[in-house]
Amino acid sequence: MKSRRDFLFGAGAVTAAFSAASVSKVALAALPELVSQTSPDTQAPLMPQNGRPYNPVVTLNGWTLPWRMNGGVKEFHLVAEPVVREMAPGFKAHLWGYNGQSPGPTIEVVEGDRVRIFVTNRLPEHTSIHWHGQRLPNGMDGVGGLNQPTIHPGKTFVYEFVARRPGTFMYHPHADEMTQMAMGMMGFWVTHPKDRHPLIDEVDRDFVFLLNAYDIDPGSYTPKIMTMLDFNLWSWNSRIFPGIDSLNVRWKDKVRIRIGNLTMTNHPMHLHGHEFQVTGTDGGPTAKSSRWPEVTADVAVGQMRQIEFLADEEGDWAFHCHKSHHTMNAMGHDVPTLIGVDHRGVVKKITELVPDYMAMGERGMADMTEMEMPLPDNTIPMMTGEGPFGSVEMGGMFTVVKVRREQKRNDYSNPGWFAHPPGTVAYEFDGALAEPHRRQDGGGHSMPRQHQHQPGQEIEVQVRKPSGHSDH
Amino acid sequence: MSAEPSLRSLRGGRLLVSVVTASAMLTGCVSFSPDGGFAAVSSAARERVAKDVVWIRSDSERNTVEQRVAELLAKPLSVDDAVQIALLNNRGLQASYAELQLSEAALVQAARLPNPAFSMLRASSAEAGVREFKIEQALTFNIFSLITMPQATEIERRRFEQTQRAVTLDMFRLANATRKAYYTAIAAAETVRYQQQVRDAAEAAAELARRLAAVGNWNKLEQLREQSFYAEAALGLAGAEQANLSAREQLIRLLGLWGYQTRLNLPERLPDLPTAPTQQDNIEQLAMAQRLDLQAVRLHTEALAKNLGLTKTTRFINVLEFGPARVLEGARDSGYKTGYEVSFELPLFDWGGAKVATAEALYMQALNVAAETAINARSEVREAYSVYRFQYDIAKHYRDEIVPISKRISEENQLRYNGMLIGVFELLADARSQITSVNGYIDSLREFWIAQADLDMALIGKPDLNLPDMPRASATAAAEH
Ligand SMILES: [Cu+2]
Repeated sequence: MKSRRDFLFGAGAVTAAFSAASVSKVALAALPELVSQTSPDTQAPLMPQNGRPYNPVVTLNGWTLPWRMNGGVKEFHLVAEPVVREMAPGFKAHLWGYNGQSPGPTIEVVEGDRVRIFVTNRLPEHTSIHWHGQRLPNGMDGVGGLNQPTIHPGKTFVYEFVARRPGTFMYHPHADEMTQMAMGMMGFWVTHPKDRHPLIDEVDRDFVFLLNAYDIDPGSYTPKIMTMLDFNLWSWNSRIFPGIDSLNVRWKDKVRIRIGNLTMTNHPMHLHGHEFQVTGTDGGPTAKSSRWPEVTADVAVGQMRQIEFLADEEGDWAFHCHKSHHTMNAMGHDVPTLIGVDHRGVVKKITELVPDYMAMGERGMADMTEMEMPLPDNTIPMMTGEGPFGSVEMGGMFTVVKVRREQKRNDYSNPGWFAHPPGTVAYEFDGALAEPHRRQDGGGHSMPRQHQHQPGQEIEVQVRKPSGHSDH
Repeated sequence: MSAEPSLRSLRGGRLLVSVVTASAMLTGCVSFSPDGGFAAVSSAARERVAKDVVWIRSDSERNTVEQRVAELLAKPLSVDDAVQIALLNNRGLQASYAELQLSEAALVQAARLPNPAFSMLRASSAEAGVREFKIEQALTFNIFSLITMPQATEIERRRFEQTQRAVTLDMFRLANATRKAYYTAIAAAETVRYQQQVRDAAEAAAELARRLAAVGNWNKLEQLREQSFYAEAALGLAGAEQANLSAREQLIRLLGLWGYQTRLNLPERLPDLPTAPTQQDNIEQLAMAQRLDLQAVRLHTEALAKNLGLTKTTRFINVLEFGPARVLEGARDSGYKTGYEVSFELPLFDWGGAKVATAEALYMQALNVAAETAINARSEVREAYSVYRFQYDIAKHYRDEIVPISKRISEENQLRYNGMLIGVFELLADARSQITSVNGYIDSLREFWIAQADLDMALIGKPDLNLPDMPRASATAAAEH
C-alpha cells in the first residue's frame, strides 16, 4: 500500500496544483494541499494514515480525497472547477466538477470526526455545497441564500461540522443547482462507523458510485443543461459502458455497493447471479427486520441505497439499471421501427442519392453492433462492448461484477474473462425440432368483442421469419 | 413638275445639257457597292466575336451555310458554336440585312440627278378660216436638286452607315440572346436531372413508408406525409421539365433550326466558374469607344445637322426649275420661238420658318438623345459590370460555401444515421435539401454566364439587363434607329 505522500506525489495521475489563477498563494498556503486527479480510472482505496482507522471504500472510476489533520480536525480542500471527463474511451465531456474530475473525489471520514472542508470556487459563477444527508449546524447545510451567502468565483469558504452518524451520503451544489448538477458537480461521502455497529456489517469490498445523466448531443462536448427527461447518456460516476470499470471481487467476499441517484428519474439496479439486501439508505442502516432478498432495487431520485451480498457464485455477472434505455448510449428516439420492412429495391434507389447508406434495423437493432460504421466525432455507439462471445450490445449504466477464486484479498485488478468450467456454457442444439401444438381458438372469451372484424377488414401482419442474412 | 412656262430664252438647250453634265461630274459616281455594305457587318463579327456571317443571296450560299450548320450541330454544342449557328442561320438577321440594301439604294438614288421633265401645251383655234396655234414645249430640270445633291448624298451616306451599325448591332444582340438562351437551356436540363433525383428520393421514401405501413410499423398519417413529399416532388419535376422544354425551344428559335436539326446536342453541364472575375477598370472608356449605338446616334446627329443647314439655305426656295422652252404662237408657219423656262415659287405665304423650326427641333432633340444615350451607356456598362461581379461572387459563394456545407451536413447526418441517432427518412430529407443547394449553384452559375454575356453586350451596345421595367422616354427608343 502506498504512503500518503506516494499517493499524492508518486502516482503520476495525481498532481498537486497551486496554480489557482484567481486564488492568492498566500491564502492557499493556509489551506490543505490542493490535490487533483486527471485519470478516470478506479483508484486503489485510500488507507487512512492518521485519524481513526476505518476500512476504505473504492470509488468506481474515481478516487478518495486525501486530508490533513490539523489540531484534531480533518481538513479537506475541494475546488469547484471546469473539468474534462472521459466518459468512455474516445468520448470526452466538458463538465464542471471538483479537483479535476466529475464526480468529485469521495470524502471518507469516521463517525465523530470533526471535519473542516475548504471549498474554493474556480467556476465562472457562484456556487455552494450541500452535504446531502448529514446532521450538521444549519449554517453548514450549504443552501445558497438560505443558510449562507454563495461562494463567488475566486473565493474560498470553509465548512466545519462533526460527522455525527455513520452512513452513505453525498455532496452537491445548492446554488444554480440545476445547471451545476447537469454539468456534473457532485461527489460521494462515506462516514464509517467509529466502532462495530449492530446494523453495519464488516465487508471485504465496499464500492461506491453516483448515478448521473447527461444530455450531450453526438459530436458535441458540453451537456445541454436545460434537458429535464430526455437525457441521452446514463452514467455511473460520469462514465458510460464500456467505460465503466468492472467490480472485481474475490469468491466468498462480502460485498457492499453504495449507490446514489442524482439523475431526474429512478433506476432499478439489477445484479445477476446473486441476491442482495438493501442494508442502508441515506437515512442510515436499515433495520435487519426490514431487509429482504432482492435482485433488483430501485434507487429513486435523490436517494442513496446500500446493497450487500455474498459473492459466492463465480463468473462475470452483469450489473445494470433495468430500464433498457439506460443501458444504451446516445440514440435517436425518433427513428422509425424498420423491423420486418422489406428493403429490396428501395435500398438501391436510396444508395444512388446517399452513397454510404446501408439498410439497418430491418431485422432489429443488433445490426448496429454488427456493422462498424463511422460515427460523429466524440461519440461512441449506442450499444457496444466486446465480450468473450461477441458484442455485449450494451451502453450507459452497465458493468460486470467479476467473482473469482484466484482474486487476492484487496486486489481490485481486472482478472479478465471468466473461464467457464466445461459443460457450463449454453450451447447450440442440433437435433430435430418437433412442431409444437398450437391453440387454434385465438385465446380467452371472458369478454368477447361486440363487433368482430369483418373478414375483409382483417389486418394482415406479415411476420418475416429469420432466414440468415437477407440480401442487402 | 409641270410649271406654267413663263420665261423664255433661246439658247437654253445647250446650257441645260452642260449644267447637268457638270453637276453629274461634281457629285461623283455613287453606285451600288459590290458587298452592299455587308463588309462592315462581317468585319465587326470577325473582330468582336470571331464569327463568320453570310448574307445569303444565292442557293450556293445557302448550301454552304446549311453544310456549316450541319457540321456544327454534329457535336455537342459549345456556346461559340451556338452563336455561330445563330449568326449564320437566323432568318431575322438575314431579314435585317435587307435594310442594308434598302439604305444603299436610297444613297444611290440621292446621288443621281432627277430626270428632266418635258411639258407641252398645244392649242389651236380656227377663226374666220385661219387656224391659230399655240404650242409651248419645255424641257425642264430641277436645278434645286443640283444644289442639294451633295448634301442629300452626304445625309444618305450617313444613313447608310447608320444602317450598317444598326444591322451590326442586331447581329450582336442575336449573339447575346443566343448565349443567354444557351446557358439557360443547359441549366434547365441540369435542373431536370436534379429534380429527378429529388423525385427519386421522395419516391424511395414514399415506397419505404408504404412498406412500413404495410407491416404495421407506421400509421396512415406518417405514410401520407411521405406520400405528399413524393407528390410535390413529382410536381417539381414536371415544372422543371416544362422549363427545360421552353428554354430549349427558345434556343432553337434563335439558332433558326427546324426539323431533324432540333435534336441538337447540348453539353451536360454549364462551363465552370472562371478562377477569377475579369478586372475592368477602364470599362466606361471602353464602352465610349466601342459602343455601336453611340456611333449610330452620333451619325444620326451629324446627319440632322447637315439637314438643318440645308433647310436654312433653302428655306425660301420651294422649287426652282430651269429648262429650255420653245413656243409657237399664231400661225403654224410663224415658227417656234425658243428660250428658257424657269419657274420659281415665291414664299408668299410660307416663309420656311416652320421647316427650319422642325429641323432645329429635330436636331436639338437628337443632340439630347445622343447625350442621354452616352450617359446611359456609361451607367449601363457600370451596372452590367457590377451585376457580373455580383453574380460571380454569388456563384462562388454557392460553390465554395453553400454546397460544401450542405455536403458536410449530409456527411454528418450519415454519421448520425450510422449511430441510429436519426432514421432513414431524415437522411432522405437531407439528401433532398442537398440537391436543392446544388441546384441553387447551377442557377447561380447560369446567372453568372448570363451576366457575362450582358457585360459583353454592354460594351458593344445597349444590353438587355434583366431589370424591373422602368418608364423610358420614347426618344431613347428613337435613338436606337
Ligand atoms: Cu436507469
